[in-house]
Amino acid sequence: MAGRLTRRDVLRRGAGAVFATGCAALGGYLLHDPHGRRGLGTRAQSVRRLPNYFADVGFPGQNPRMSMAMGDVQRMEQVVRAAIGGLDPDKGMRRFIRRGDVVLIKPNVGFDRPPALGATTHPEVLRWVIRLCREAGTRRILVTDHPIESPAACFARTGISRVVEEEGAEILLPAQRHFAEVGVRDCEPDRGLGEVLHHWPMLHAPLAEATKVIGVAPVKDHNLASASMNLKNWYGLLGERRSRFHQAIHETISDLALLMSPTLVVADATRVMMRNGPTGGRLSDISPGGVLGRPTVVASVDPVACDAWCYENLLGRDPDRLAYLGLARDKIRARVVEGEARFGESDWRAYDARGLVTMVNV
Amino acid sequence: MNEPRSGSAASSEPKPSGSAGATESLAGAETVRPVRFRDSWKTGLLRITTVRIIVQAVMFGLFVAFALLTTFSNVDRCPALCFWLGTFLEIDPLIALATAITTHTVYAGLLWSLIILIPTFFLGRFFCGWICPYGTLHHFIGWLFRSRQARTVDANRYRRSQHVKYYILAAMLVAAVFGTLQIGLLDPLCLLYRSTTGAVLPALGMPAPDLFGEPRYCGGAWLIGALLFGLLAMNLVVPRFFCRVLCPLGALLGVVSRLAWWRVDRVPGACTGCDQCRLHCEGACDPHIRLRRAECLVCFNCIEDCPERALRFACFPDRKHEIVGTDVSRRKLIFAGLAGLLFGPFVRTSGRQTRDFPSDLIRPPGAVEELEFLERCVKCAQCARVCPTNVIQPALVEAGLEGLWTPRMNFRIGHCQLYCTACDDVCPTGALERVSIDRKLGLGEFTRIGPIRLGTAHIDPARCLPHGKSVPCVVCEEVCPTSPKAIYSERVTRTLRDGEVVELRVPRVDIDRCIGCGLCEHACPVVGDQRAIYVTAEGESRSQDHPDPDRNRSVRLRPAAAPARVDPRLQL
Repeated sequence: MAGRLTRRDVLRRGAGAVFATGCAALGGYLLHDPHGRRGLGTRAQSVRRLPNYFADVGFPGQNPRMSMAMGDVQRMEQVVRAAIGGLDPDKGMRRFIRRGDVVLIKPNVGFDRPPALGATTHPEVLRWVIRLCREAGTRRILVTDHPIESPAACFARTGISRVVEEEGAEILLPAQRHFAEVGVRDCEPDRGLGEVLHHWPMLHAPLAEATKVIGVAPVKDHNLASASMNLKNWYGLLGERRSRFHQAIHETISDLALLMSPTLVVADATRVMMRNGPTGGRLSDISPGGVLGRPTVVASVDPVACDAWCYENLLGRDPDRLAYLGLARDKIRARVVEGEARFGESDWRAYDARGLVTMVNV
Repeated sequence: MNEPRSGSAASSEPKPSGSAGATESLAGAETVRPVRFRDSWKTGLLRITTVRIIVQAVMFGLFVAFALLTTFSNVDRCPALCFWLGTFLEIDPLIALATAITTHTVYAGLLWSLIILIPTFFLGRFFCGWICPYGTLHHFIGWLFRSRQARTVDANRYRRSQHVKYYILAAMLVAAVFGTLQIGLLDPLCLLYRSTTGAVLPALGMPAPDLFGEPRYCGGAWLIGALLFGLLAMNLVVPRFFCRVLCPLGALLGVVSRLAWWRVDRVPGACTGCDQCRLHCEGACDPHIRLRRAECLVCFNCIEDCPERALRFACFPDRKHEIVGTDVSRRKLIFAGLAGLLFGPFVRTSGRQTRDFPSDLIRPPGAVEELEFLERCVKCAQCARVCPTNVIQPALVEAGLEGLWTPRMNFRIGHCQLYCTACDDVCPTGALERVSIDRKLGLGEFTRIGPIRLGTAHIDPARCLPHGKSVPCVVCEEVCPTSPKAIYSERVTRTLRDGEVVELRVPRVDIDRCIGCGLCEHACPVVGDQRAIYVTAEGESRSQDHPDPDRNRSVRLRPAAAPARVDPRLQL
């Protein structure tokens, strides 16, 4: 192909070189960063908010806010129905769940343990909570938790997988894509008021999809927080290195109590881990119904009061000495705007005095 | 050595002296016959090579399926799956032979290797050409990246370097006699499984975690990946370089194939010396002259390619037309054996297996005592693949040179889950014993023996938040899964620098309760530094009763008072 350069060649090459010069200069100009910061700058975190899942329940003021049902594990259907029915004798679960709702149920599946050891939510309690939701006409029921150990193993070993599959609900095993930054409060946390969390990665995808959230937590002893019940159960929605929160465990749990406004909480005291919590490991660590001595299920629209009741009546300890209950009450009082449907009473006797606590023996 | 020749035209020059009987058919030396070897590819649908390709594809598909199925969820849901997952490792005669040399037994499923070994006595190295998934991978890569311009048979000529695999085999088997099992380094199936688990799957999961679930980590994945990629790349230089030059399993089957009844046989009268038979020859076994039986992979490409139908697969053909043995140099073989003989003493002299045992080398539960472990582990990484928490990692330098790619627990990545023995269930060689949950946790009939201890946790008081920094924590106590907890806390009152008096809970380890599961180390919030609590091999139960003080890694005489483990079976 040797030959003389044609005029066309010269023009083509010349134009190409000029064009390439322009591209290089433009690219350099657009990408130029004189301070070396732009490439490293913190990416604007889109911090998300959680809605109040209790807001559209329209809970009547005179209805009981806490309802306990005691009965044998073999009769769990009646026990769970009685506990939830106690909150609204007319409509039962239909008070909370409407047709077409997407319900997120958050059991405690934190450990790879057989259900008999009481470290995780009893599968039968979960079964009947799911069934009641289904009867109320849900569109989807999601069950999720972010355990300490391998999620697949935890869900399988605790018997939760089996029950969820049998009841036609869906398990959502947490994966990286499900997590997102969730804001707890708009302002910087004030450590003086016991506030620690500003925003933190949480298992957001199911929370975003759900229209209702139900917590189903076992009642357990906890080595550091003294007890793990419904408020501590939200800890299982935190991502990343959440173990650092143990440096301020009560502050963190009460922050979560402020953040999460569930539709309903169900405390599973079919067997209460009295010692060696939160992992347990021996049957002698647990006791059916704790101090009460009889398997119990508590349903409540006030997670703080529910925890206080369980702490006193099931674990047999003094709720006034459980710091996170008082902190949760104070934070909810301080931060919840007037008129928002939110309960946060750490003194369950105040409810009892007003006749807002019911108890049935099934 | 044969000179390179063009493959598309028949050669008219006389054969080298080694090709006895090849020249008589080349009387009309100047007739250049137009060779249409492609014709033979068009005859019939189920030609033997088509069948072979189907079998290879099915076998490779099975391998991929087994590799993908080897996960904790699958094994947990369907324990019977364990019977199948290690199939390719269990049919590997080299694993069976080498572990038989080290342990004098053939472990469990390794007896299946007979279904490969026995047919080799009759058919030669059919495994390499038909079954071996790693061979198929090399075959495929060689085909995909073959040079399309230079259609030369030179790439498939026999090379003296093909002797190397026999030297490797000899060195490894001699080393095995002295108790160090190294075949796993180059055994094609161990290599393939390790590459899949240690490099390919984690690498695929890295950019697309949503597709493959949680990202898996693998220590030293770069080396495992580089070895895989490098060996695959060698196909561009020498087709099936690994199979021809390095593979110790191929060498073993090559030695064994000297007994074979059948082999590819050339009918000298019909042969025109066109060399087409070498064009797609997988084994570089010289089908155009005297067949090197030990190199032939029985791929049948030569029979397919021969335009004169001068090649056939024959029973008891004429011995004059073949080279039966491996033709290796005896001096080099002896030298290789000497290298294998010295390997053991050289690596053991470091004392890393006994007196100077690395404190951070924690083997998975069910691991047998270290020296027995090194007699059994073939570095296949099946345990690492199946582990639900990713805690099992192939060792790079942590277990010394001898323990390269043997499994170790890295508690910064995961922890040993209590109700799980998946790693033990998939181990093909018994380096990890098949233990039950009861045995692992010391329940039921094993109450007196107690649980399997992987090691013991130790608290670093300078790093620990309550100990060294007066900051509340005790996450380790919270997660400790034994009952009663092996980690407990003491209440101490301290006066801080500003005069504030705080009550702190300071963690302590109960040496008799700790089983070394590593959950405390994994969950410890001190992550930017070494963890404030860490597990070492101290007190590991697998070496506890060993009479040799160099091999007994326990400061305790006996675990004091076995706790009252009277729980019934707690499985679902």
